[in-house]
Amino acid sequence: MENENCSHVPFSSYDSKGLTGCFINYLPWQAQSFKIQTARDYHDPVVVTYKNPHALQGAGSDIVIIEAENLTYSYGDTLAVDHVSFSVDKGEILGFLGPNGAGKTTTVRMLTGQLVPQEGHAKVLGYDVATDAKKIHARMGVCFEEKNLYPRLSVKENLEFFARLFGLEIDIEALLKRVDLVKFIDYRAEELSKGLQQRLMFARSLINNPDILFLDEPTGGLDPISADAIRKIILAEREKGKTIFLTTHNMMEADKLSDVVGFINEGRIVALDTPENLKLELGKRALNVKIRTEKGFDEERLLLDDSETPQRTKELLENKNIATIHTQEATLEEVFIKLTGRKLIGGS
Amino acid sequence: MNQSCIKAIARKDAIQAVRNRLVLLALLSGILFSAVYYILPSTVEETFTLAIYGDSQLFGDISDLEEEGIEVGFFSSEEEVKNAVGGGDYLVGVVYPEDLTSQLRSGQKPHITLYFKSDQPESVRTAIEYLMQLSIEYFVSGEEPLIIEEEILGEDMAGRHIPLREQSIPMYVLMALIMEMWTISTLIVEESAAGTLRAVLVTPASPSDVIMAKGLVGISYSLVVAFAILILTWSIRGNLPVLFLGILLGGVMAVSLGLFLGSLTENIVGSYVYTSLPMLIFLLPGLLIFIPDVSLSVVKFIPTYYMVNAFDQILNYGAGLAEVWKDFLLIAVCDVILFILGIYALRRRYS
Repeated sequence: MENENCSHVPFSSYDSKGLTGCFINYLPWQAQSFKIQTARDYHDPVVVTYKNPHALQGAGSDIVIIEAENLTYSYGDTLAVDHVSFSVDKGEILGFLGPNGAGKTTTVRMLTGQLVPQEGHAKVLGYDVATDAKKIHARMGVCFEEKNLYPRLSVKENLEFFARLFGLEIDIEALLKRVDLVKFIDYRAEELSKGLQQRLMFARSLINNPDILFLDEPTGGLDPISADAIRKIILAEREKGKTIFLTTHNMMEADKLSDVVGFINEGRIVALDTPENLKLELGKRALNVKIRTEKGFDEERLLLDDSETPQRTKELLENKNIATIHTQEATLEEVFIKLTGRKLIGGS
Repeated sequence: MNQSCIKAIARKDAIQAVRNRLVLLALLSGILFSAVYYILPSTVEETFTLAIYGDSQLFGDISDLEEEGIEVGFFSSEEEVKNAVGGGDYLVGVVYPEDLTSQLRSGQKPHITLYFKSDQPESVRTAIEYLMQLSIEYFVSGEEPLIIEEEILGEDMAGRHIPLREQSIPMYVLMALIMEMWTISTLIVEESAAGTLRAVLVTPASPSDVIMAKGLVGISYSLVVAFAILILTWSIRGNLPVLFLGILLGGVMAVSLGLFLGSLTENIVGSYVYTSLPMLIFLLPGLLIFIPDVSLSVVKFIPTYYMVNAFDQILNYGAGLAEVWKDFLLIAVCDVILFILGIYALRRRYS
């Protein structure tokens, strides 16, 4: 029963020609138009426009780091990715969100040259993923969700091995300092906690100073302080002009880090826009009001876009029994539910 | 192929293998098993020993047999003969009647008792029975009943038979190579199961680099372990270049099989299951050395039979390439087939 409307929703169209020119600090901001159809409201598609101040513009085609067009992949009869198209520019962080089985991993595998698209094509760093994967790999970093380190090699040996694969000699200590792992340099990977392993994997993805990073749940299993440190590194990499493809279940993280968020559901991209735009256009802004009563407190939620809200707010304010009153922004989680009828984690 | 990637992966695999207790144990067990060499007999007893009790008139004639490599012991009672054979000092005991001569002269059929050690095969028992009949006939007639001509086909090994411990050397070498098959399979499965392969394949390294590196590590370990066994058993002898070539060909076969078996499963337990049966089958030609009376023509369909045969010829009979080239050719053909099969299966798995 879950999401039965969604199966009839046509793929949201992406008008790559819909660029508008805005100029701030002499940099043209990019604006792109998307038509987004929600699962519950597909008769009335929503058109939103996003402007990304972080996307670096320049001459030539090298500003577009990822170009995917009609990417399709099936496992037997199961269609995992269904004609997905999008692009990511240099210096952008794309948050790629979707529930388990939505097609995130398959999309990433195609973009990283691990799977060859069965239909459509994709270019990363200007190279075709199907024919020039090794050229992409030389300039790409990947942080996997699964803990795939060599357990019997030390932290240093793990990183040295991958540096050698790239034909590099790097300052391992300097890299480990960035993820606060220096004191564990001689520990075997199997001796590290899950959080420390995650930090090591993240460090590994940076080993070749990549132009593009594919990060799959990079803060998974980390304590809040470590997670924050990793987020700062991600933002610092973005500031250096690196492009980051971030796959996550963590809506808060996607909201904090992403310039653009892409929602994928049942193999299709159902929305692609800045987090702000998505929340403004598709989320529900509300007022949360806590009212004193004889028995204690009552809570009331007033949707700002509801026509009755002004009158009700006035009544509450006149009542003078208000304990607290807060505005509540829409969350990406709510946007996702509105678009797909599903929760990101835990199904419908 | 990317040489620096191959070098990096091979180096990493070498460290990983040594730090994997199970793999290390497998490598060492091959070497430790060669300790069996030292408990096997180092000489071959070529003298046939005969314990005799009975009519003394026969003794003078039978003692002539000692010149032919048959050692005869004379005993003063049937009980002593039984003890001598039962105790393992003699292979066969013969008890003649006290009045054998008079029984023969009066036309009677004397009753002779033969005692055999329990491990004497039926063929020896039958041969001794015929020998007794002929010797009595000779005694009665005074003439040799047959004219026998003796011709040795091939090299006369009389007096220089290969002791069992030397015959067992090819089996230890084979065992070292088969262990490599298991090691390679484990390395591959481990890489796949831990997901590290996925991490490697999104670097400049290709599946071919990974396969080549693992193959090189496997062959290197094969050579090291095989030669360690030969050194530990003081068996470095014969034509060394030919021996090296034989071990190299065997190593390639083990590695190719390991590559193939490693592609069949994604978990370590599965890999043990998949490798155990081929290990037993491929070890069979080596194990047959310990059971010489069992002749299994089916072993000739097992490629390692030709490996064992070649090692045996090189190490124990000083054979050169001229003698073992047919074995080597068969091994090389199997190597090519198994290598292609292994690479094909692995590339399918990795892609």
